[in-house]
Amino acid sequence: MPLNIDWQQILLHLLNFAILAGGLYFLLYKPVKDFMGKREQQYREMDEQARRDRDEAAALRKSAQERLDAAQEEIAQMRIKAGDEMEADKQQMIAEARAEARRILDTAGKTADQRARKALADSNDEIRDLALEAVRKMLLNDEDALDKFLDAAEGGQGNG
Amino acid sequence: MKQHRKGLLLWLAVVAALLALCLAVGPSGGHGDVQAAMRDAVLHDQNRVSLFGFKDVNPGLISAMTVTALLLAAAALIRALVIPRFTLVPGRFQLALETVVGLLDGMAGVREAGRRTFIGAYVFAAGVYIFCGTLFELFGFQAVTTGGHPIALPAPLSDVNAAIAMGCLSYLVILGGGVVHAGAHGAGAALKDFSLPISMSFRLFGALLSGLLVTELVYHYAALSYGLPVVVGVLFTLLHALVQTYVLTMLVGMYYEEVTETPAPKPKKEKRAARERADA
Repeated sequence: MPLNIDWQQILLHLLNFAILAGGLYFLLYKPVKDFMGKREQQYREMDEQARRDRDEAAALRKSAQERLDAAQEEIAQMRIKAGDEMEADKQQMIAEARAEARRILDTAGKTADQRARKALADSNDEIRDLALEAVRKMLLNDEDALDKFLDAAEGGQGNG
Repeated sequence: MKQHRKGLLLWLAVVAALLALCLAVGPSGGHGDVQAAMRDAVLHDQNRVSLFGFKDVNPGLISAMTVTALLLAAAALIRALVIPRFTLVPGRFQLALETVVGLLDGMAGVREAGRRTFIGAYVFAAGVYIFCGTLFELFGFQAVTTGGHPIALPAPLSDVNAAIAMGCLSYLVILGGGVVHAGAHGAGAALKDFSLPISMSFRLFGALLSGLLVTELVYHYAALSYGLPVVVGVLFTLLHALVQTYVLTMLVGMYYEEVTETPAPKPKKEKRAARERADA
């Protein structure tokens, strides 16, 4: 054969390479590839887990935000309601205070009136007593004057 | 500064000594006829080695078997001692192993997992074999020829039989992949490139043989055996080990991907299928 080509040696080279390829496949290629595949799978799972956790955290955050918004809305409404109630209470208290004041004023007016009337009556009685006393003292000196005065007084009482 | 001067003086002394040696040896160095040596490097018709007394074979076959034995022993050691200790965060050696496997597996080109396992393993084995086989010639393993002379074992693929085996096997792998994955279309696509086994074989053979011949030529003359082999022997060998590994694995991966692709259905067939569906 030209170039010293020998079919038997070609076949021996093929056999040699087949043994080498098989050996390298089972001893190196497959274990290393398996390890790399497992590691890739593990990192993919970790990545997937991280993505799931992130999504879950985002969902939780969204839910918490919604609840916070709802709570804030509720607080605002409660604040408005409390303000209204407070205003109503204030108005009621003012009205009650005014009513109480009016009542006190009325009572005070009536009391003052009674007291004034009583004071007037007392004054009248006192004046009368004083006048009677004064007259008695005068009449001790003049019997006729006493009778005239008594007549006049009785006549005045009948008019008054 | 003083150290630099010392180093410079030392280097000049070494260069002068080598020059003196070259001149002392003279231009007529070398033993035997260089033509005969180079002819033997190509044809291996003189220096043959006995294969366990079974047959006289080219030294390349002995090199191939030695490389295989060494690689399998190294792989077994790595499998037993290193791979069980692999960690999620790789150390240096683990990283190197993963890089080699990943790089050669990536050269397979095919992305689909089902098609990739076989061609990935093949490209990995071929790449490791070509690279380590080419570097093998640097170590100068000795063998005794049938004539009783010691010779340094060459790179396996500098033997034409090894190159033909590798080229034809690669073509058969491509053809087989085409038949298995794409049927008649794949077989047709692979057979269309009928020159591929020859081109692959002789590309490998030519590249490796040229390195061998240049090295043989350089070492044949004693005057050229100082300094120059550092470049010719080591750097060129490293370089063409890388280049040949890249070329063959890339070609195999590329052709395999091409022939195993399932062809897209032709528009006519689609129209006919749509019409049949409409009729049904």
